[in-house]
Amino acid sequence: MEYNVNRRDVDFILKEQMHYEKLLELPAFKDYSLEMFDMVLDQALKFAQQEVAPINASSDKEGCQFDGKNVKAPKGFKELYQKFAENGFIGSDVPTTYGGQGLPFSVVMPMSEFFSGSSVAFMMYPGLTRGAAHLIETFASEELKNIYVQKMYSGQWGGTMGLTEPQAGSSVGDIKTIAEPQADGSYKIKGGKIFISSGDHDLTENIIHLVLARIPGDPEASTKGISLFVVPKIRVNKDGTLGEPNDVRTVNIEHKMGIKGSATCTLAFGDNDNCIGYLVGNRMAGMKQMFQMMNEARLLCGMQGLSIAGAAYESALAYAKVRVQGQGKTIVEWPDVRRMLMVQKATVEGLRALLYMTAFYEDMGKYHPDAEKREYYEGFADLLTPMCKSYGSDQGFRVTELAMQTYGGYGYISEYPVEQYMRDVKISSLYEGTNGIQALDLLGRKLSLRGGQVVQQFYQMIDEFVTANQNTPVLKNELSEFKKALDSVAQTAMSFMEMTGRGDFNYPMLSATNFLNMFSGVVIGYFLMEQAVIAQKN
Amino acid sequence: MKIAVLLKQVPDTETKIRVKGDASGIESDGIKYIISPYDEFAIEEAIKTKEKSAPSEVIAVSLGPVRVVDAIRTALAMGADKGIHIDDCGLAMDSFVTAKVLANALKNENFDLIFTGKQAIDDDASQVSQMVAEFLNVPQLMLAEKFELGADKKSATIERSVGGGTKEVYTVEFPAVIGAEKGLNTPRYASLPGIMKAKTKPVTTLKASDLVGETKPKTTNVNFRLPPERAAGKVLQGEPEQLAQQLVKLLREEAKVI
Ligand SMILES: Cc1cc2nc3c(=O)[nH]c(=O)nc-3n(C[C@H](O)[C@H](O)[C@H](O)COP(=O)(O)OP(=O)(O)OC[C@H]3O[C@@H](n4cnc5c(N)ncnc54)[C@H](O)[C@@H]3O)c2cc1C
Repeated sequence: MEYNVNRRDVDFILKEQMHYEKLLELPAFKDYSLEMFDMVLDQALKFAQQEVAPINASSDKEGCQFDGKNVKAPKGFKELYQKFAENGFIGSDVPTTYGGQGLPFSVVMPMSEFFSGSSVAFMMYPGLTRGAAHLIETFASEELKNIYVQKMYSGQWGGTMGLTEPQAGSSVGDIKTIAEPQADGSYKIKGGKIFISSGDHDLTENIIHLVLARIPGDPEASTKGISLFVVPKIRVNKDGTLGEPNDVRTVNIEHKMGIKGSATCTLAFGDNDNCIGYLVGNRMAGMKQMFQMMNEARLLCGMQGLSIAGAAYESALAYAKVRVQGQGKTIVEWPDVRRMLMVQKATVEGLRALLYMTAFYEDMGKYHPDAEKREYYEGFADLLTPMCKSYGSDQGFRVTELAMQTYGGYGYISEYPVEQYMRDVKISSLYEGTNGIQALDLLGRKLSLRGGQVVQQFYQMIDEFVTANQNTPVLKNELSEFKKALDSVAQTAMSFMEMTGRGDFNYPMLSATNFLNMFSGVVIGYFLMEQAVIAQKN
Repeated sequence: MKIAVLLKQVPDTETKIRVKGDASGIESDGIKYIISPYDEFAIEEAIKTKEKSAPSEVIAVSLGPVRVVDAIRTALAMGADKGIHIDDCGLAMDSFVTAKVLANALKNENFDLIFTGKQAIDDDASQVSQMVAEFLNVPQLMLAEKFELGADKKSATIERSVGGGTKEVYTVEFPAVIGAEKGLNTPRYASLPGIMKAKTKPVTTLKASDLVGETKPKTTNVNFRLPPERAAGKVLQGEPEQLAQQLVKLLREEAKVI
């Protein structure tokens, strides 16, 4: 499967909208240069196109195999995983301490777009490894860090995130897996997890599960009582060599609509009371720790939506330019086809700006030397994250639908790539917190961040943009329309806050998703209009 | 061992080439540059050879404006050790002058091996490597599909195709110039750690004006133009018999192929 991306748009956002040179002023990135960022992106795109994209279609057809004991990933994944790791891509955005590369998240986002657009199923494996390793790196003891982290970033061991259980999907607090303290300070894990991505496979010699479980006696039926554990598939000796199997059994793998190359596993921990786990950080801090990693994971999930939408749009565009129907015209010449392509283009470019800029706020929020600036940008990143996740995945899916419509009947046929794109992208709205949960997060947590100050500051930034450019000849009308939309988001937010303030949650909860969509549309409108202003000046 | 790689930066094959208004060259605006793909094979072979013959070093050499330093940096990120950028100083260059300048830069460096691409994909001239060898008075072997370092590390066995499936096998003593053909190897990517490391590797700058001496170009480009656009095809209509007649007529009278 060929992968194409509009590199000009990528560069336009980085260079002219984000001004990625600002990242170099942050002490965290002082060892980098713009030439290096560009080289990183060139190499990542080349790798995506030449190494990752070619296995996308075949892995979809082949899927994962389970023989009752072990899971086999599709052909080519093992070699690709090693190559991917050797190039330093697994830990590209994490600190260099344990083998990460310390790149800004703003540069990792486009890399991630190229990789996920080339094969989102393959990317699940390094993605989960990165997430698990980074959790250990951030919260675990020195001893655990030294044993696990480097081997995960280097591709020797894989990683997973084990939250979900049959009765505990969105409500993670309902998990039943328990962790019984042992005399030596370790824990015996017992319970079952379902839907665990990369839960078993043959890409790496060991798999390190990060498992949420409850220590008996800690609060039940609430996320407050949950702790986080490192549970290796094969036990690791003190010197880092592999020991005995750790009583982790793969029960089954799921058969599913898309990302068929990604193994989704049911895992049983401690069938024989012999599954050892190690507490990460503090007891009962499991959810809090997971949440600290949530922004990046959710942005990357929204990125899956954008990346596949981008690939689907490029594919539909290329097809529309060669398919001839009626009066010897290529279909791109027909107005209705142009309409579909324009909607796809606008959506893809708008999502790209939203996701890249949110990554930029994330970097600034984390690394800006000035505490006040950190707070300002971190607020924006927090506010926009549920929109990135939710709007990115939902609109990403809608774009693949339009891409299929652009193809006509051929789009429905497996020889062409869009039907796979459509199936593959759907998952992004479901996992990593369903989009419904994202909407509640925006409404319940994000609007009230710092007493509503964050959303006010964000409103103010956009409002200032409107004021500064309202006399721009070509945008005059659009901006005055846009201003109305912006203000209606602000008014809706205010009335929701007022309702929840007097204890009326029903209506706001009913409207949460609509509100998220409305807000996201306005944010994207802002980024696109800012682009128009920049383009006009050049 | 001391190994040089000669690199040329060329427009990306995806770039839409536009000819300048006065037909004196191509518009450089908006062009994305890459390392000429055959030169990537050369870099890979140089690095592989270095890995087999430690202690060795690989020096990436490129002639051109400042932008070609990007190509050198990429080679360094792939694993080359040093770079030499020869600033073209805006001089008029053909293959002959280019080769002369490169040879003069390499002359006193005592390289054991010089890897190049068999040709650059922009002008496809395939002349510079051979002339560099000539000016340095060392043997050259172009179109290398296989390169095997000798046990003595002072020679190599090289294979190349000569058409019809026949292979030629040569042994060559160093110093030598080797021109890489597609298939010689699979070039590695510049890895993220490699890109970080490349930053601290030295790149020396030389000036073509100091190296060119009395050499003047032997050829000049008179004019650039794009190939004519392909005309639209013709659709014939009618009964099979008439169609055949029409087709034969067109092939004879318009296409003049029968
Ligand atoms: C392919 C795949 C891979 C996965 N990978 C992993 C993994 O690696 N690790 C892992 O731990 N999990 C993983 N999951 C699980 C995934 O995160 C859950 O499926 C997801 O959290 C939703 O839970 P659920 O399926 O039980 O749906 P439910 O929670 O039952 O939700 C059903 C519906 O109810 C809505 N809903 C539920 N609660 C509320 C509420 N309070 N307010 C409003 N609406 C609500 C939801 O939005 C949804 O529309 C994966 C799932 C799949 C399908």
